[in-house]
Parts: sequence; structure tokens; C-alpha cells
Amino acid sequence: MRTWIIGLLVATLTAASATPAAAQQGVTDTEIVLGCSNSFSGPLAFTGEQATRFGVDLYFRTLNDAGGLNGRKVRTVYYDDAYKPQDAAANTKKLVEQDKIFAVIAPQGTPPVVATLDYLEENKVPLLFPFQGSPITRGKKYVFSGMTLYDRQSRMMIDYLVGERKYKTFAALYQDDEYGKAFLTAFEKDLARHRLKLAAAEPVKRGATDVSAQIAKLQAAKPEVTFLVLVPAPGAQALKERQKIGWTDTVMVSAGPLTDERYLSLAADAAEGVEGLSLWPDPATSDLPGVRQYREAMKRHFPKNEPNRYSLSGYFAAMLFSEGAKRAGKNLTRESLVTGLESVKDWDSGILPPITIGPDHETQKQGFWVKVEKMRFKTLTDWLKSE
Amino acid sequence: MRRAVLLVFVIVGLAWPLLAPRYFVFLASLVFVNAIVAMGLNLLSGYTHQLSFGHAGFLAIGAYTTALLGLHGGGLPAPLALLGAGVVTAAVGVALGLPCLRLEGLYLTMATLAFGFVVIEAILNLDRLTNGADGLRVPAARMGPWALTTDGARYYLVVVVTALLVIAALNVTRMRVGRALLAIRESEIAAQASGVPVATWKTIAFALSAFYTGVAGGLFAWLIGTLSPDAFDVFLSVDFVVMIILGGLGSVPGSIVGAAVVTVLNDALAGFQNYRPLIFGTILIGCMLFMPGGIAGAWRRQTAP
Amino acid sequence: MVISGLATGSIYALMALALVIVYNATRALNFAQGEMLMVSAFLAWTAQRAFGLPFWASIVVAIGGAALLGFIVERVIVRRSPTATHWDVLIITLGLSLVLRALAGMVWSHDEFPFPSLFSNRPVVVGPVRLAPVSLGIIGASLSLMLALYVLFTRTRLGRAMRAVAQNPRAARLMGVSVERMSSISWVLAAMVGAVAGVLVAPVVFLSTKMGLIVISGFTAAVLGGFGSMPGAVAGGMLLGVIENLAPLYLPSAIRYAVPFLLLIGILTVRPAGLLGRATTRKV
Repeated sequence: MRTWIIGLLVATLTAASATPAAAQQGVTDTEIVLGCSNSFSGPLAFTGEQATRFGVDLYFRTLNDAGGLNGRKVRTVYYDDAYKPQDAAANTKKLVEQDKIFAVIAPQGTPPVVATLDYLEENKVPLLFPFQGSPITRGKKYVFSGMTLYDRQSRMMIDYLVGERKYKTFAALYQDDEYGKAFLTAFEKDLARHRLKLAAAEPVKRGATDVSAQIAKLQAAKPEVTFLVLVPAPGAQALKERQKIGWTDTVMVSAGPLTDERYLSLAADAAEGVEGLSLWPDPATSDLPGVRQYREAMKRHFPKNEPNRYSLSGYFAAMLFSEGAKRAGKNLTRESLVTGLESVKDWDSGILPPITIGPDHETQKQGFWVKVEKMRFKTLTDWLKSE
Repeated sequence: MRRAVLLVFVIVGLAWPLLAPRYFVFLASLVFVNAIVAMGLNLLSGYTHQLSFGHAGFLAIGAYTTALLGLHGGGLPAPLALLGAGVVTAAVGVALGLPCLRLEGLYLTMATLAFGFVVIEAILNLDRLTNGADGLRVPAARMGPWALTTDGARYYLVVVVTALLVIAALNVTRMRVGRALLAIRESEIAAQASGVPVATWKTIAFALSAFYTGVAGGLFAWLIGTLSPDAFDVFLSVDFVVMIILGGLGSVPGSIVGAAVVTVLNDALAGFQNYRPLIFGTILIGCMLFMPGGIAGAWRRQTAP
Repeated sequence: MVISGLATGSIYALMALALVIVYNATRALNFAQGEMLMVSAFLAWTAQRAFGLPFWASIVVAIGGAALLGFIVERVIVRRSPTATHWDVLIITLGLSLVLRALAGMVWSHDEFPFPSLFSNRPVVVGPVRLAPVSLGIIGASLSLMLALYVLFTRTRLGRAMRAVAQNPRAARLMGVSVERMSSISWVLAAMVGAVAGVLVAPVVFLSTKMGLIVISGFTAAVLGGFGSMPGAVAGGMLLGVIENLAPLYLPSAIRYAVPFLLLIGILTVRPAGLLGRATTRKV
């Protein structure tokens, strides 16, 4: 009995110590492992599923079929955090320590992403193109932002609305967390530049859908423009609630993350006339070469899945990673990836205007104005400036 | 034979951080923390047949108390911080338990359910203190001049605390408290009639249960390193209920086994969001229909001739 | 705001009624009531999308599906429990709610979907006030259903038998009422009431697997009215709906989400028998 126990212990000890240390975690001669914690349930389930399994994976499937990156195929691992920061932190730990991923790609939502920032930076794991835009990700060595950062979005929105459309009174309905508050701070700052103030701002709890009280209170403030800084379901709920109480003398404007077909279809006819900042060309109709390739790939690999901007964003993230990895060359390490991405200059994806990353690690910096007419976004402006 | 098995467990348990990959050290710590919660819940549910859907709330109170003590407590040593978390949570438990004592089973369950939601709302609305929905970074546990920053160090802390609490729980059930609580479970009225001060014991059960969960919350905070209110939702409370139903009501080893099974399953299924509730739901139904008494009950039937 | 509160309240009232119907027949709480509601709403939606059924027919599908689901759950699962105490049934239905939600997630995904409504969302102006037909429609439909239930319970043989079981199962059995049959019927009836609530509420909150959580507001409403009392459940639901809608107008908006729980704890600690309930003394 005792010898058996000791034998077992010795065996496990040798097994544990015999594991060789890899040259670079997550990269072998034949494979690169990427992953992220994302929403596959909870309020952003659709978004998360589309960005990862139908976006990131869509591009990598095409890439792997064509031989991969320097002979390495890309594999992805995803875990569900249901938009909860704490679960995102635990999932990310599992990805890094157990699944041994090379880098995190395209996680979603400001609060979950922010919860993993310090851990990833300490462990020198690249965090690539999160689907969120809080400026809190600036100035980190291993973080490359994805979506146009919220302060840039706010600047484009306010400059356009005050400068070209001559609106004077503004209000905001925002999600009560880092996502909403990052926008709110930026709105206040940008309005102050024009010597204006927010007339009212009402919070909505993350995950809640009932916004009737907030809409009633905002109506009482009589703003010309009401910003919506929400996720699709409560965003659509706000539009329906406004229709229900017959509040017509305000322009509803959706922030970049919200401007999508999803919330449009939930709100149905209540969305008519809504405006917003769009960060992506129309995935279903745009004639840009990159978007067309994306639609063809979608038709080939996931014929049942409709094109949408979430899968497009994931597709773009995977594309940008591949560009960085190509520049890093055969010896792919976390350091060489960072250098590779930093060297991206005037790179044309065929989806967005040419991209230059540089030391600020910001990939997207632009957006354009759209208005809902007959259930589709109609483009009102060219790409706006955020500098 | 039994001693030998126990010995293996102790040796493997102590050598675990040397044997296992880093992530499994973390996972094992999580198993122990959940085992503490399951023991705590079992003190309430197993011995008094009062189901609680609010233990995620207690866990949250313990976790946030520890985090806040770490942020503002000026390097309080870990045992004191844990004690603080336990005592604060126990106090909340008594405050909730006293008025709820008059309630019968079903109503008590609903009160604890509501309590869980109220805790989340409170954390969200006290955002100056708790950082609201954005979550709170937890500073590392401290032992005098050392900070426990590695998974191994945290593991040993968790193991020591768990061992102490297991011994305490085993003795509770052997002492007067345990017998009184069992009497209450069988028949509250009969217990009352035979001179057991039912109200007092139920309050004590509530307080003990909350204390265990609060201590677990403290350990949990250090393990995860980030707290956010929405993670302590009713589904987490349901996980705890699954642990004790599967492990066996009123059994300390059962609590540990139940916690281990649920924690490992939870981790293994992190990528398949639909299988988790499906399997846990099936476990609940299956246990009630075919295996009342859970694993501990089945074990007892197997070993007894 | 009050009208919109009453509309929300009628949904809560229907949920509470469904819970109370089962409780009265079996002394147990059906934790899966919310998920059963969610599944029936999804059935209606699928019937409409996949087979192009007209809206009224899809409602019939929802109610029929719910009835079948209630029947299966009671016959196949709940009745097989060895002791069938309220504790057992609570845990079984808790497990069932998890299973149903997971299965629904597999079939329909955890997405939100728009659900068509019988009633328009555009307001009509009546004198000085604007009224939303959708609110009035919900209130109207709920009230008619409640009236139908009232007639069922007071004017028919079946209803009287069910009430007899609720009051004293043993005596009812002695009078020749089959308690088991009443239990089946109650589950089916409750599931059908839940299905109606589901079809009414889905256009407002969107159709999703998260809909089932509405059951918690149903609990609150039922407790508020004194668990077991059907008029109490209706009053409790309405009251809860109105308070939920009015409170954020005078307090910070965030309070909206805490109202049902604060109310539930408050009522349980102050007056556990509910506002309309009578205190019961337990006999050995």
C-alpha cells in the first residue's frame, strides 16, 4: 500500500517536472493559439457569438485553408462571461494559464475587458482589438485598441451635431458602468469646448431592459438631441418607450457601439429617424472589396448566417492580427508581434480607410454619420475627423 | 485502509502546488472555497431544512468586506481580514435571520432570494465604496511583511482555513448545536415541545452559515482578484444549492465532494454555456427523484450492509 | 405612468395567479413557472415564423404547448418524487427551470427577438392624456382572463372541487374528489395562464431566454397579496406594477430595479401573511 502511494507520488512529480518549457507560449511550428472571454449568454450574446465564431473564426478558416500564417494554422478558444467582469477575469486566467494562448483577440464589452487589463499586462499577454472603446486601454505596452475610442467618438458626434447641425441642448441615456461613464465624461468635455452642457443624464443598469422611468425623466428636460449609450436590447426598448409616450421633438442619436442592425430590428418602426455614428461600412450592401470578400467567405462557410457588423468587426480583427503576425516574421513572439503591429502603416484592408497604428496602438480612429430610413442606415456624411 | 486513503489525500493536498500546473492550483483553491460555502449552506439547509437562495449575497458581502479591508485597512494580516469578513457577514445573517425566523420554509426561501438581489443592488448603488458595476480590484492578502501573490501561497492559505473550518463543522454536528438543529429539521414543533429553544438555534444556524460563507468570500476575493456585483447573482446561489443537494444534505464530506464536482464541471464547461444549466438542472431533478441524500446518502447505503 | 404600471402589474398578477393555482392544489411552489412561460412564448414565435400561422393561431399554439408542458412536467417528473413535499418540488422545479432555459438556449439561442403584438405601440390622445393601446390591451386581456378564472372557480363543479382541495385535501378526498387529478389540472391551468402572460409580455420586453426571471416579480406579487389568495395575487400584482413605475419618478432611477425585492423582504418581515392574507396558526 505504502509503496504504491510513494510510487504514484514520484511518478506525478517526474511527470510534472518533465514538461519542457516552450519557446513562446501559444506558438508552435504548426499552430498559433488565440482566444478570448466573450458574451455567449447575457445581454450581448448575439454580438459575442457573431464577433468570435462567425467573425474571427471566419477569417482564420479562410486563412488556414490557404495555408495559414508562415505554415502555422490559427486555432481559437472561447469562454463565456455573460458580460460579467469577474467571470471575464477568471476565464482569461484559464485561457492564459491552462489553454496557453499566445494572445487575447477580440474580447467584448468595456467592463469585462477592463477587468482583465492589469492581469494581461503583468503577464505580458497581448490584448488585441477588444470590441470596446474606453480610453482606459491607452498607454499599455501589450494592448492594441480595436473600436474607435469613446473620446474620439464623442468628439466626432458633438462637433458634427453642434458645428453642422447647430443643436444646442443635449441629454444622455447611458449604461451605468465604465462604458456609459467613459462616454458621459467625454460628452461633458466636448460640450464644454462649445460652451454647452448636458441638460440631463439618466443611468440604466447593465442587463436591465426597462427604461420607462428614465425616458419620462429625460423628456421632461426637453433636449433637442438625446444620446443613447446602451446595448441593443435596452437601446431598442428606449426607442419603443419614446414612441409609446409620443415623445417626438428630440433626435435620438446612438453611440458607435450601438449603431447596428440588431437594435434596429428589435425596435422595428420605432427606430425610424434615429441617427447615429457608424464605425463600419454597411456589411450587407457595401461595395468595398474587403466587405465583398467577407460576404463571400460568409456565404461559403456559414451560409445560414446573415452578414452583420459584429462578425465583420471580428473578421477585421483577425485580418489585422494576421497582418501584424506576417510583419513579425517566422520568429513569432509576443514582442515581435507588438513590433510588427506598430509598424503597420497606411495598410488598406478594403473595409476601413487606410490604417496606421504606430506607438499609440490605436487601430481605428474614424466613423461616419447615418440616419435610419425605412429600416436601413442611410449614410449622411463621409468619414468624420476625430483629431 | 480508511486512514491510508486519508493520508494520501493529505499528502497530495499538501504537495499539490508542486505537482500540478499553475491553473490547477488555482482550481483546487476554488474547490476548497466552494466547499466552505457548501458546508456553510449545509449548516442552514441540511440541519434545519431551510433552503437559501441568498448565499451568493453572503459570499459577496464577505468578498467585498475583505477587499475593502485590504484597500483601507492598512495591511491587515490575512487571518484578521478573514475574521472581519466572517463577522460582518454573520452580523448581516443575524439581521436577516431574526425577522425571517417567523417564516415557514417557503417564505424563508423567498426572503433569501430577495436578499441576494438586494445585496447586488446595494453594491451597485454604493459605488463610491464598491466601484459599482465596474468591479473592484482586490489587493493581495498580506501576512505581516509578505503579500501572498502566487497561486501556491494562496492555495496554502485556503487549505489551512478550510481544514480549520472542516474540523469545526464536524464538531458542530456532534455537539449540542448539531443535535438541536437536527431536532428542528425533523419537527420544529416537537423540538419546541421538548424544550429546544428553536428560535435561538435557528438564529445561530443562520449566523454560522453566514460566517462560513463570509470567510469563503474573503478567500474568493483574493483568488479571483476582481469582484463585480453581477457575478454574485441568483445562479451562483443555485450552484451552491446544487453542491449540497448532490453532495448530500447535512453531510460535511458530502459538501466537499459536491463542491468539487460542481466546481470542476463549471470549469470544464466554461466554453459551453448551455451545458452548465442543463447538467446542473438534471443533477437536481435526478437527485430528488432517484438519489435523495445525494452522494453521501448513496455512500452510506453502499457501505452499510 | 399609472396605466403603464397597471399593464406591467397585470402581467405580474397573471404570474402570481399561475403560482397560486399550483400552490393551492399541491402546497408547492413552481420555480419553473417563468421558464414555462418563456418556452410557450418561443413556441408561439416559432409557429408564426416557421409555419406562417396567423397571430391568433400562434397564441393557441402557445397555450396548447404550455398545457402539454404543464401536464408532462406534473405527470412525468413532479409526481414521481418519492415524498413530494414542498421542499422536493421546489428543488425539482428549480432544476427544471435550469434545464428548460438551457434547452431553449440550444434551440433558439440566447438572443433577443422582436415579438409581434396585437396592440399598437403608437399613443392615442384622449382628451388631456395620451394612452398607449399596448398598455390598455394588456390590461384588457388580463382582466378578461381573470374574469374567466373567477367564473371557473366559483361557478363550475371543477372550480369548486379545486377550491375544496385547496382548503383541505383530506376532506376533499373523502368527498370523492380526486386530489391527483386536481393537481394535474392545476398544473395545466397554471401553465396556460402563464402562456397568456408570456404572449402579452413578450412584445414589451422582447422575446429571450431571460424572460423567465419575471417569475420573481410573480413571487413578490403573490406574497404581497398573501400567498394562496387569488384576489390577493391580482391586487398584489397591480400594486407592485404601479409602485415599480412610480417609485423612480420620485427617487433615483436606479431604485426601479430594487423595488420588488425590497418590497418582498419588507412585507415578509412586517406582515408575512400578505396585505390581504389572514394569519394562519399552525396545528400539530
